[in-house]
Amino acid sequence: MEIVASVANASKEYKTGDTIITALQPTTCDFKKNELTLIIGPSGSGKTTLLSLLGCVIFPTTGQVTICGQSTQGLSQRQLAQVRLKNIGFVFQGFNLLAPLNALENVMQPLLLLGIPRKEAKERAKEALKKVTMQDRMSNLPKMLSGGQKQRVAIARALVTNPSLMLCDEPTAALDIKSVAIVMEELKMLSTTSKSVAVVTHDLRLKQFADRIIYVNNGAVSNEPKEEEFIH
Amino acid sequence: MLKTAFKFIKYDRAKSIGVVVGILISIFLIGQQIGILGFLTGLMGGIIDNSRADIGQIWVTDNITQNANQLTQLDARLVQEIRSIEGVENTFAVVAANSIVKFENGKTATVTIIGSKAPMFVGGPNPYKINKGKLHNLLLDKAIGAEFFDKKTFENDVEIGKRIEINGKEAFIQLQTKNARGFGGSFFFTTLSKARYYGNFPPNKVSAIAVQVKPGYDLTKVVKRINTTIFGVRAWEAKELKKTTIRFLTFSSNIGTSIGSLVIFAIISGFFIIGLTLYSSALDRIKDYGTLKAIGATDGYVRNLILLQSVIFALVGFSLAFLVLMGFKNGVQRSGLVINYSLLEVAGLFFITVFISVGGSFFAIKKINSVEPASVF
Ligand SMILES: Nc1ncnc2c1ncn2[C@@H]1O[C@H](COP(=O)(O)OP(=O)(O)OP(=O)(O)O)[C@@H](O)[C@H]1O
Ligand SMILES: [Mg+2]
Repeated sequence: MEIVASVANASKEYKTGDTIITALQPTTCDFKKNELTLIIGPSGSGKTTLLSLLGCVIFPTTGQVTICGQSTQGLSQRQLAQVRLKNIGFVFQGFNLLAPLNALENVMQPLLLLGIPRKEAKERAKEALKKVTMQDRMSNLPKMLSGGQKQRVAIARALVTNPSLMLCDEPTAALDIKSVAIVMEELKMLSTTSKSVAVVTHDLRLKQFADRIIYVNNGAVSNEPKEEEFIH
Repeated sequence: MLKTAFKFIKYDRAKSIGVVVGILISIFLIGQQIGILGFLTGLMGGIIDNSRADIGQIWVTDNITQNANQLTQLDARLVQEIRSIEGVENTFAVVAANSIVKFENGKTATVTIIGSKAPMFVGGPNPYKINKGKLHNLLLDKAIGAEFFDKKTFENDVEIGKRIEINGKEAFIQLQTKNARGFGGSFFFTTLSKARYYGNFPPNKVSAIAVQVKPGYDLTKVVKRINTTIFGVRAWEAKELKKTTIRFLTFSSNIGTSIGSLVIFAIISGFFIIGLTLYSSALDRIKDYGTLKAIGATDGYVRNLILLQSVIFALVGFSLAFLVLMGFKNGVQRSGLVINYSLLEVAGLFFITVFISVGGSFFAIKKINSVEPASVF
């Protein structure tokens, strides 16, 4: 299977004063097409750090991150923004829809950033909203939508550019059980359309949707769980 | 991006209104002060503006004065003498005599009687400032011209045929000017001889001499020639004398400093009020800007989005301020405060608007620029 994103010996350290926090130890793993990867670990273990590295919003302290065959080493902020825009769709725990824009405009935004004409962007955004069955709420501002609906709009925004990589940080944390199922079904479905989907969670119930599970513990990534740490 | 900028503005309605009102108030205040300064400086140069500066392009005064409203008497023989200088077509004596006018209801006021020879009346009034009556009315026995807007100062109307006393001598208003005013004083216009008679002005003296230049002669050269030929006087181009007068009065009266400091204060406070409001509204949207960066917007895009909002604020605020200023202008016109904005002044106001709103967005941009895309995860 084709590799969409990979981290090679990538680590992340934060310096605060004299102390160095190792948020992520040197890690190597690949994310492949048509695969939904679940990243599971306790709070503070480094899940978001791993996702942020993959999302090119932070630089690794050591090692390399490669997105769609392109190494991110030495890229400028501007170039990184381009990499994110073209290849990656983000779904955030807090939805992060732009409050002043309605659902349709939110979904259009990445396309407009890509320089796609407004009219075409509108059509494509409508299509994307249809995929998450939110076409009836196009003209609603985020504050008029429920959490699950917001997250579906956010998924539409992430998928509208047809990215190879979808990164979702606890997309279900703020949702009720019914919405969790809907959102996860959608992400699962997306992963079958030549995308690699990575979902960070500490909710073990999501295991049923995963093609693969990565466990993060104390900044270390492994394929095996340390079961005793996941008893909630 | 324009549409997104509008949406952001619309969403933060309260703060957006705050910014627009901030711009509106600062620009209105500045525009108002500039308008009033323009009006006052117009009055300062009134003695020149009311005259036929198209004929008397050069004014000869005593060699000390910096203020055309305060002229020392000159020897009347200079009128002939200057006429013989090369390049001079004609000379016109102008008499300005301070006098006391008394109305039939007992009210008195001080006025400056401006006299110059008929039929040109080079000392004024300029025909376009005549509101009622004809210029040659001034040739009538005991005739003087008075100013429409002075009816407030006089607490009397200034209608044609009205009987008044000037320095105890009977006179009649036979001409009404509009907007032929001086700085802190009223003008009565009449012939040279009547100005002398009413103003108790010595027959062998004049206040100033207006000089008409022969066609084809260079104004500045004729000015120079008069200055080198005649001792004890100073020849000016009329517009130079006006400028000097305005400069002199603006500074000696502190009008320049007080209006100048008001304008600067309005600019500074506008800058910070708008800057802080834009900053606080950017803080409200910090997550949105961070999200935009995370999904792939460059810092430049986000900066332009904020700049665009401030430009929209500038345009809206300026348009509103301009409308209110026009309302103010029309409102005060009736009471004689005549304000006109030159294109340059309007452009200047617009520049100030853009400066305070785009400049004010500096704080917001600086803050948002430092937002890391990783911060929204
Ligand atoms: N910007 C930062 N500066 C300093 N330390 C950081 C920073 N970001 C993360 N860390 C630290 O790195 C470690 C890993 O953080 P990370 O956010 O990846 O955890 P997480 O697994 O996502 O936790 P959670 O489930 O609570 O979201 C934590 O100890 C955290 O305090
Ligand atoms: Mg996290």
